[in-house]
Amino acid sequence: MPMGHTATAEAGSGGLTATEHRLANGLRVVLSEDHLTPVAAVCLWYDVGSRHEVKGRTGLAHLFEHLMFQGSQQVKDNGHFELVQGAGGSLNGTTSFERTNYFETMPAHQLELALWLEADRMGSLLTVLDDESMENQRSVVKNERRQRYDNVPYGTAFEKLFALAYPEGHPYHHTPIGSMADLDAATLEDAREFFRTYYAPNNAVLSVVGDIDPEQTLAWIEKYFGTIAAHDGKRLPRDGSLPEIIGEEKRMLVEAEVPSRALMAAYRLPHDGTRACDAADVALTVLGGGESSRLYNRLVRRDRTAVTAGFGMLRLSGAPSVGWLDVKTSHEAEVPDIEAAVDEELARFAEEGPTDEEMERAQAQLEREWLDRLGTVAGRADELCRYAVLFGDPQLALTAVGRVLSITADEVKEVAQARLRPDNRAVLVYEPIAPEQAPDAPDTDVNDAAEIEVQEEEAAK
Amino acid sequence: MTEQLATMEFHPQPQPGTAKPWAFPAPERGTLPNGLTVLRCHRPGQQIVAVDVVLEAPLDTEPEGLDGVSTIMARAFTEGTDKHSAEEFAAELERCGATLDAHADHPGLRISLEVPVSRLPKGLALLADALRAPAFEDSEIKRLVRNRLDEIPHETANPARRAAKELYKQLFPAEARMSRPRQGSEETVANIDAAAVRAFYDAHVRPATATAVVVGDLEGADLDAMLGETLGEWTGNTAQPRSAAPVTADDTGRVFIVDRPGAVQTQLLIGRIGADRHDQVWPAQVLGTYCLGGTLTSRLDRVLREEKGYTYGVRAFGQVLRSASDGSGAAMLAISGSVDTPNTGPALDDLWKVLRTLAAEGLDDAERDVAVQNLVGVAPLRYETAAAVSSTLADQVEQELPDDFQAQLYRRLSETGTVEATAAVVNAFPEDRLVTVLVGDAEQIEEPVKALGIGEVTVVTG
Repeated sequence: MPMGHTATAEAGSGGLTATEHRLANGLRVVLSEDHLTPVAAVCLWYDVGSRHEVKGRTGLAHLFEHLMFQGSQQVKDNGHFELVQGAGGSLNGTTSFERTNYFETMPAHQLELALWLEADRMGSLLTVLDDESMENQRSVVKNERRQRYDNVPYGTAFEKLFALAYPEGHPYHHTPIGSMADLDAATLEDAREFFRTYYAPNNAVLSVVGDIDPEQTLAWIEKYFGTIAAHDGKRLPRDGSLPEIIGEEKRMLVEAEVPSRALMAAYRLPHDGTRACDAADVALTVLGGGESSRLYNRLVRRDRTAVTAGFGMLRLSGAPSVGWLDVKTSHEAEVPDIEAAVDEELARFAEEGPTDEEMERAQAQLEREWLDRLGTVAGRADELCRYAVLFGDPQLALTAVGRVLSITADEVKEVAQARLRPDNRAVLVYEPIAPEQAPDAPDTDVNDAAEIEVQEEEAAK
Repeated sequence: MTEQLATMEFHPQPQPGTAKPWAFPAPERGTLPNGLTVLRCHRPGQQIVAVDVVLEAPLDTEPEGLDGVSTIMARAFTEGTDKHSAEEFAAELERCGATLDAHADHPGLRISLEVPVSRLPKGLALLADALRAPAFEDSEIKRLVRNRLDEIPHETANPARRAAKELYKQLFPAEARMSRPRQGSEETVANIDAAAVRAFYDAHVRPATATAVVVGDLEGADLDAMLGETLGEWTGNTAQPRSAAPVTADDTGRVFIVDRPGAVQTQLLIGRIGADRHDQVWPAQVLGTYCLGGTLTSRLDRVLREEKGYTYGVRAFGQVLRSASDGSGAAMLAISGSVDTPNTGPALDDLWKVLRTLAAEGLDDAERDVAVQNLVGVAPLRYETAAAVSSTLADQVEQELPDDFQAQLYRRLSETGTVEATAAVVNAFPEDRLVTVLVGDAEQIEEPVKALGIGEVTVVTG
């Protein structure tokens, strides 16, 4: 068990530390101690997401994630939920383009249970996976799709934009929820094959963060995960590389039963893990993050043509990232007027770059987001896994905020000039129609559409 | 077809270690010279400080025809002060990495600041300016009114929001403020102007009837000095104590279908009102409601999701509407979720069967035990952040509960038995006293729902 130990805090890590370990079967382990509260977070990232899916089987990674909660050799149906919740823990699993994660936050004295449960399904899911679970979860996931995408206004916007922004056949052309037809077509054998291919200790990173004894924790991990066999049958996802610039404006008009007109767009941005990506994050924050941003001030406060206006960013490492513009119109405002204003603001920004004050504000907001994310044991465990899986180095999670704060105004201007251009975007325009004309009822929440979970989060009061 | 893949070495399920003590934090209570009540709570390591201000401005004090004025005022707090224009104020907040949210609800108005501790003095200064000297500038109020009017069609289009609006309308008497949308309707919002907002502010916003809750890593922060220079500068007169009429509702079993031709799912919301946190039954009601529908291993989802696959998830919950020590308050007790259109009838049939079985046979000890272990055990997780602690302390203030209510609730939950939890949940969700709202395709679901006999069915549009 070689240890790539890093026990002293690096500069800019806020005093947080993490140690790295690897079991003989290839399972990578990251541990981080924090004794402020008697809780411990377990997070397990499998290096598989919707980008690994093949034609005709979209949605399989997410459907499979649901099957991981249907019991394994020593855990009965739904036992995973029952045991964790009965121990005073909370849990969930989510699927995105680039990974599938499973996590439990436990009272510290129940940590061993969470490790035992994760090991049991990693090692023995297929001994119990059957048609009954498959058919049941297929129905659940189809209802998830209806609830979160098909039965809400603008619900399929995210799906449509990705289909426009990434070419046919590209691994990110389809989103993690998948299509109804493909969900219907998936077979039990597809699920088994998926598990055999991707669910192996050498394709995963396990992090444990919180009020833990690292030596004891590592001993438990060795005990429960150590005898699970490695296997190397993983197929790499199709190549996600694309030119830096789309090269033309892609455009789609959607006439649907929606409450107002909307202008949405996806800009192609640099890959996550690069300085240019961090610079793009700062640029989008200045332009469309919060209520002092340029687009908000222009469209919502001054022109008063929009009810909401902002930019979001989806960082991707295996394909270009996405800058997501979302504007909903006010009253009778027309999309072309809004689009002209957006283009004017983006062009001005590319020309002038951010002011010192805008840099200060954007970086303060981004720093705050990082403090929030690293401020809970579960958030920290997830970020450690993210950097370990996507970039091979969990320590990068602890220094990420420092990198964002080191971005200069020139770098922001440069990425804005290069990327925030009309020939580098896919545009989606919504035009409302009366109910009787509507072919179907679309509906959406775009902000969390990139990540879908096994159950809705609910807090008991 | 059995797989031979499991070659790992199996071990028995591990037993828990020794639980470490954890208690819901006890705040320190004090009063500033201007009459503002302050609750403070030091949480080591919590670098994001949370400040919640509770204002006594219940929605039922909004003037006739001006529903939504409290919401517009809440939003206007962050749209400029005597020192900053609206744009400058937003910029100043973001410059210190702070967020400031305000919302108006039945019991009153809540303003929540979150700010890194290093910038707490600046954050508190902005909060104090917003409360002490809001600009309520005419043009900004016009914009907020227009913005609010723009939001309403989006809410109507959202099945969950539309269902809630209909349930409140049907459940509460037409003259009660609770029967109408919290943030106002098209007709009432259009009547709101800067003068109305100013008048509402003058009538309800003053330090003497407000409470500020401050939670976070306060070590080394001279909070008294900070508060003195910020919220301590806020002045105002005193107010007469007010009392509210008891919350009442008509829970005669009946069904309202909000017609959505072509909808692929039916949004369901089934509710009535019941005991709030001042009632002795509250812990038992929390426990029983969790067993009914708190999570995907609860009774409803065990059938509707995990056996039948009708839904992504159905939840039962109790949510305090308004609560006061005189017992005039109430909680909304409800079941919500969405089911696919063709299975709407069968799903409701199963839902009612779950309720009837629960009433006939009661909860069993094992599910009660798991529920207690979860509800009590998750407390240290749930209250990891300063914001979570602050919000619960502010709820307690707003609901006239003692500062140790949440801490005591965990003890009371542990002491609640299966019989009490059963009685509470059966009383909370009697099968013939539930108002059902379904947002879905009436043509497809009306007949199957009528056949269930869960009450008279009315189809509404809009």
